[in-house]
Amino acid sequence: MDHFARLGLPAALDLEPASLDRAYFALQRQWHPDRFVAKPAAERARASAEAAALNDAYRTLKDPLSRAVYLAELKGVEMPGDGKTIDDPELLMEAMEAREELHDAGSTQAVDALAAKVRADMKASLSGLGSLFLAGDKPAIRKALLRLRYLDKFAEEARARRMNLERSTA
Amino acid sequence: MAYSEKLIDHYENPRNIGSLDKNSEDVGTGLVGAPACGDVMKLQIKVGADGLIEDAKFKTFGCGSAIASSSLVTEWVKGKTIDEAETIKNTDIAKHLALPPVKIHCSVLAEDAIKAAIADYRAKTKKAE
Repeated sequence: MDHFARLGLPAALDLEPASLDRAYFALQRQWHPDRFVAKPAAERARASAEAAALNDAYRTLKDPLSRAVYLAELKGVEMPGDGKTIDDPELLMEAMEAREELHDAGSTQAVDALAAKVRADMKASLSGLGSLFLAGDKPAIRKALLRLRYLDKFAEEARARRMNLERSTA
Repeated sequence: MAYSEKLIDHYENPRNIGSLDKNSEDVGTGLVGAPACGDVMKLQIKVGADGLIEDAKFKTFGCGSAIASSSLVTEWVKGKTIDEAETIKNTDIAKHLALPPVKIHCSVLAEDAIKAAIADYRAKTKKAE
C-alpha cells in the first residue's frame, strides 16, 4: 500500500496540510498501542506495524519536496538514491556557484538575502511541478526535483552559516 | 563515530583546494553531485606535455568525508598518467581513509569526479586533433 492510500488521501502533489493532519491523527488513534494491550500478540504486532507505517507515510507526505519526490517515484520517475551520483553540468554548476556565494557571504544580512532568494525559487519550482506531472514529462520532473533537492540543501546550509555568523559576532 | 587520523588530517588540512582554468586545453574538469545528500564536487586535472598529471585541484561542498576523499584523490593523481589515474577505485579511497560504511558513497563521488575529469580532458584533446 502506498503512503497516500494508507492515509486515505488522493495521490496528489497538492495536499491540504490540515487534511493530512486529520487523516494521520485519526488513524494513529485507531492503531495506538494502548488500545491493543489486552489483545492477542498477533493483533498487537499488527497494530505496531500499522502505527510505524503511518508515521513513515506522514513524515514522507508532510514536506512538499519529499512528497513530490515520493509521488514522482510512484509514477515511475527514477530518482538517484543514496550513493548515486549525477553529472548534469548545468545543475551542478548552479549548485556549486550558489554554495560559493554562500561561503563568501560575510554577514547575516547577506546570508538572509541569499536564503530568501532560494526560498522564492523553491516555491516557484514546487508550484511549477504541477504542470510537469500533468504532462507526465518524466525527464523534466526528475530534473526539477534534483534541482529542488539542491535548493533545499542550500537552505539548510544557509541556516547553518547564519548560526555560525551569529555565534562569531555575539 | 570515530574517524581515522588520515581522514581528519585531510579534512582539517585539505590539499589542493582551488580551481584551474576550465577553458584551458590541458585541463580536464569533472563536476559530480550526490543529490541524496546534496553534495557537489569539482575535481580538475592539468596534464603536462609528457602525459603526466602535473596539477590537480578540487572544490567540494559536502560532508567531511567527501572533502577528505577529494583531497586524497588530488594528491594521488599527481605525477600519474591519466590511464593510471583512471584505475583509482572508490574502495581504495575508502580503505585508505577508513571511511565508515555510511560514508562509502563519498568515495564513490570522488572516483566519479576523477573519471569525469579524465573524460573531459580526453574529449578536449580529441577535438583538438
